[in-house]
Amino acid sequence: MSKLPSRVFTRRRLVQSGVAVAAVVPFLPKSLAAQQRQVVIYNWDSYIDPGSIPDFERQTGIRVRYDLFASNAELFGRLRAGNPGYDVIFPTNDWVARMIAADMLAPLDHGRLSNLGNIGAKFMDAPHDPERAFSVPYFWGTTGIGYRKSVVGQTPESWSTLFTDPTHAGRIALLNSDDTIYAALKYLGYSLNTTNQSELDEAVELLIAAKPRIRTFAPDNGEDLLLAGEVDLCLEYNGDILQVMEEDDDLSYVVPQEGGLLWEDDMCIARGAPNVEEAHEFIDYILDAENAARIAEYILYPTPNEAALALLPEEILNNPAIYPSEATMAKLEYARYQGEDVAKMYDDALTRVLAA
Amino acid sequence: MARSRPGPLDYTRRWWLRFWLLATFVFLYAPIVILVVFSFNDSRRNIVWQGFTTDYYVRALNNLSLLEAFGNSLTIALLSTVISTVLGGLLALGLYRFRFPGRSSVEAASALPIVVPEICMGVALLVFFAEIGWRPGLPWPLSLANIVAGHVAFSFPFVAVVVRARLAGFDRAQEEASKDLGASEWQTFRYVTLPFMKPGLIAGALLAMTLSLDDFVITFFTSGPDTLTFPVKVYSMVRFGATPEVNAASTVLIAVTVLLTILAVRLQRPDKGVA
Amino acid sequence: MQSWRESPGVVVVLLAPAVLWLLLFFLIPLGFIWVISFGERAGPVAIDITWTLANYRDAIDPLYLGLFTRSLRIAAISTVIALVIAFPVAFAITFASPRLKPILLLLVILPFFTNMLIRTYAMIAVLRRNGYVNFSLEQLWEAGAFALQPFGLAGMLGERFVPLDLLYNNTAVVFGIVYVYLPFMVLPLYASLERLDRSLLEASLDLGASQFRTFFFVTVPLAVPGIVSGIMLVFIPAMGTFLISDLLGGPSSQLIGNVIERQFKAANNWPLGAAMSFLLLYLTFVLLVLRAWFEKRDRGRG
Repeated sequence: MSKLPSRVFTRRRLVQSGVAVAAVVPFLPKSLAAQQRQVVIYNWDSYIDPGSIPDFERQTGIRVRYDLFASNAELFGRLRAGNPGYDVIFPTNDWVARMIAADMLAPLDHGRLSNLGNIGAKFMDAPHDPERAFSVPYFWGTTGIGYRKSVVGQTPESWSTLFTDPTHAGRIALLNSDDTIYAALKYLGYSLNTTNQSELDEAVELLIAAKPRIRTFAPDNGEDLLLAGEVDLCLEYNGDILQVMEEDDDLSYVVPQEGGLLWEDDMCIARGAPNVEEAHEFIDYILDAENAARIAEYILYPTPNEAALALLPEEILNNPAIYPSEATMAKLEYARYQGEDVAKMYDDALTRVLAA
Repeated sequence: MARSRPGPLDYTRRWWLRFWLLATFVFLYAPIVILVVFSFNDSRRNIVWQGFTTDYYVRALNNLSLLEAFGNSLTIALLSTVISTVLGGLLALGLYRFRFPGRSSVEAASALPIVVPEICMGVALLVFFAEIGWRPGLPWPLSLANIVAGHVAFSFPFVAVVVRARLAGFDRAQEEASKDLGASEWQTFRYVTLPFMKPGLIAGALLAMTLSLDDFVITFFTSGPDTLTFPVKVYSMVRFGATPEVNAASTVLIAVTVLLTILAVRLQRPDKGVA
Repeated sequence: MQSWRESPGVVVVLLAPAVLWLLLFFLIPLGFIWVISFGERAGPVAIDITWTLANYRDAIDPLYLGLFTRSLRIAAISTVIALVIAFPVAFAITFASPRLKPILLLLVILPFFTNMLIRTYAMIAVLRRNGYVNFSLEQLWEAGAFALQPFGLAGMLGERFVPLDLLYNNTAVVFGIVYVYLPFMVLPLYASLERLDRSLLEASLDLGASQFRTFFFVTVPLAVPGIVSGIMLVFIPAMGTFLISDLLGGPSSQLIGNVIERQFKAANNWPLGAAMSFLLLYLTFVLLVLRAWFEKRDRGRG
C-alpha cells in the first residue's frame, strides 16, 4: 500500500478500503476532490430538512461536513479547550451568552449576510446578544406539556397537572435538566430566572412532593416515552412533541396558562473556525426566505424569519402548538445566563430533587 | 442409540448448565435480535412495527460520515487492542515475576484507569491534549493517534488484571525445568510462559477490543469533526431514540466484527499447530 | 518471585512500555484534573488555581453522600448478580470441547461489539409496557384465563391484563448494569478457571466428596483470583456509570456518576466534578490497598 502515490493515499480512500469488507463500496459516492471548499456544521439532530444540505452544496460548490450534538453542554464541552474544527454551531440563547462570555464565538460580518433583513425586528434586538454581533436566530420555541388526548381528557391547562394533580400518578415524565426547575418556578408564579434562594427552595419542595407520582426524569426523550405509551404526560420541547404527533394523532401539546420557557437556537461561528467565509455563506443560505420556509415546514419549529413566515401554509401558522397566541407569548420567558454562581444554584436545586 | 452417562467432569452435558448457558444467551441476545429486526422497520422511530424495508441499510451505507466513523472505529479498535494486549501482558508478567522497589505503586497506579470515572478521564485527556498543543487537522490515520493513546491507557489495565488472574495459577517449576533443560530466557518465555498466558491474553484482548469499540465518554472529548468514531456519531444520532438507520449500521458493524474475528481465528490456526 | 537485580534488562522490557504509557497518557492528564480540583471558577471557562479546599467541602455535602450510598448499593447488588450469572457460564466454557470453546467465548463477547447506547435502547424495546416481555406475559395471561374459564375461575387473574412496569426504576438500572458489564465478569472468571487442574476435581470426587462440596471447597477457592478481578472490573465501573441510570432509571435512580457527569457538562463546574472524581478515586484506592493487604496476610498464613 505504501507504494501508492501519496495523493491517492487520502484518508477517504483508506476508510473506503477498510469498509470494503462490508461490501458497501457500490453505495459510496465518488471520491471527493481534496482541495474542495468545505464548511463544518455542528447542529442538533433532526433539525434541518433532508434537502437543504445537498441543495446548498449544489448551489455553492461548498462541501458540507455535518456533525450532530445532543445538548448545549456537549457543544460547550467540545469547544471548551479549543475548537477542534467546527465552523457553524447552533447553541441556545442562554448558552450563546455563556459562550460570548467565554470568548468562544467569532464575530459575524453582517456585510456578508445579505438575507439578514429577513429576520423579524423583535428578534434582532435580543437580550443575550443585543447587536447580534455573534448570533443570528435559527428557530425558537417553547416548553410545555405533551400529552395523550384519549387518556388525559381535557387539555392540561395548568402545570398543576404535572406537579400536584394525583389523577395521572405514575404516568408523568419530567426532564432531568433545569427545564424541570423552570416549569416548577413558573407554576409557583416566579420568574424562571429567579436568584432568590427561597423561591428556588419552594420549587424544589414542590418537585420532591411530586416525585411519588413521577415515572421518570427523562434525558430529553419524553416524546418517545409518550409515543411508546410509557407515560401519558410529559414536560417537553414543542418541536419534539410535534414530531411524534405526526406519527400518532392521539398526542398533543400545550403551553400551560402559567407560562413557561421561551428559547431560541442561534447560528454562530465558533472562534477558530477554519472556514469563516464558507460559514457566512451557509448562514446566509439558511436566512434566505424560501430555504427557511422549507426547513420550517419540515421540522415544525417556529421561525424568526419574517420573510419565510409569509410563505408558510395557514395550517402551520394557525397551529397554537407551533405559534402560540399573543396571550401565551406574553407569559413566556427567556432563560438568561447570569454567571456561574447562579448556574450552580440551579444545578444544586436539580440535584436535590433527583437525590431525594 | 443409548447415550452414555455423562462423566463426572462432563459439565457441559449436564442439563442445568446447558439451561443456564441458554438462558444467559437469551438474556444477552434478545436486545440484539430486536435491534436487527428493527433495522428493517419502516418507521423513523423505533417504537412500533410499521412494515419491512431495507431502505435504512441503503441510507446508512450512503451516509458517508457514518461510514467514515465506522472506519475510524475499526482502525482505532485494532490498534488499541494490539498495543493494549502487549502492554498489559508485559506488565502482568513483570508484576507477577519480579520484586522491585516501587512494585506496589506500579501495581496500584496501573489499576487507576479502571477506577477513574470515565468522564473525568475524558476531560483529563481533553485538557492534556490542549495543553501540549495537539492540533486537529493531521493527515489520517495520524489524526487518530490521540484517541488511540487514550484508548490504550484505559484498556491495558483491564488486560493486565485478567492476565494476572491467569498467571496466579502458574506453576513456576515449569519455567525452572525449561531453564534447567538449557532453554534461554526468551525460549522459556516463548514456549512455556506465553502458551500458559494465552487464554488470559485472548480474554484480555477481547475486553480491550470491546472497550475500544464501545467507548463513547472518553472518545467524545478527544475527537473532532474529522475523527468521529462510531459510538460518538451514533450517540449524537440516538440521543433522542434509536433510529432504524443506526440499527442498520450497527447490524453491519456486528456482521463485520464477526467476519473479522472468524478471519483472525482462521489465520491463526496453522500457527497453532507449530506452537 | 525473583528480585529485579537478577535480570534488570528483562524487568525494564516488561515494565517500561506500560509505565511510560500510563505516565504520559494517564497520570499526567489526570494531574491536570487533580490541580483543577483545587481551583475556583473565574468565569464560564477560566479556572483560578487557588489551592482552595472548597470543592472538596462541597463534594462531601450530605446531599451527594446520599447519592453515593445509593450508588454503592446498586453497584454491589449488580456485581453479586453478575457473579452469580457469570460463574456457571465461565465454568461451562472452561469444560466445553476445544472446538466449542472459542465459539462460546465469541458468543459472550459479541453483543458488546455493538454500541452500549443502542443495546440499551434495544433493551428498552424489550422491557417497556408494550414491549416483548409484556407481550409474552399477556399471551400467557390470555391462555390462562381461557383455560380457567370452564371452571368459572377466569376472574382469578383479574379483569384484564395489566402490563408490568419493568422500566424506570432501580431494578431496571441493576438489570442494565448486569447486562452491560457481564463480560467483564465472565472473562476473568474464565481466565482463572481455565487453569483449573481437572485432576484435583477428580481426586475430590473420587474421595467421595459430592459435586456440591467439590464445587464449593475445590473449584471456588481455586477461582478466587478470577472472582476478585471480576468483582473489581464490574463493581468499580458500575460506581461511575451514568448512561444506564439516565436511560433506565426512575425518579430516584440518580447515581453519583450522574452528578459527576453533570458537573463536567451541563452544570459546567469542573472543579467540583474534579473533586468528586478524586474522592471516588481515593476511596477505591483504599479498597485496593486493603485487598492487597488481605492477600498478603492470607499468603503469610498459607
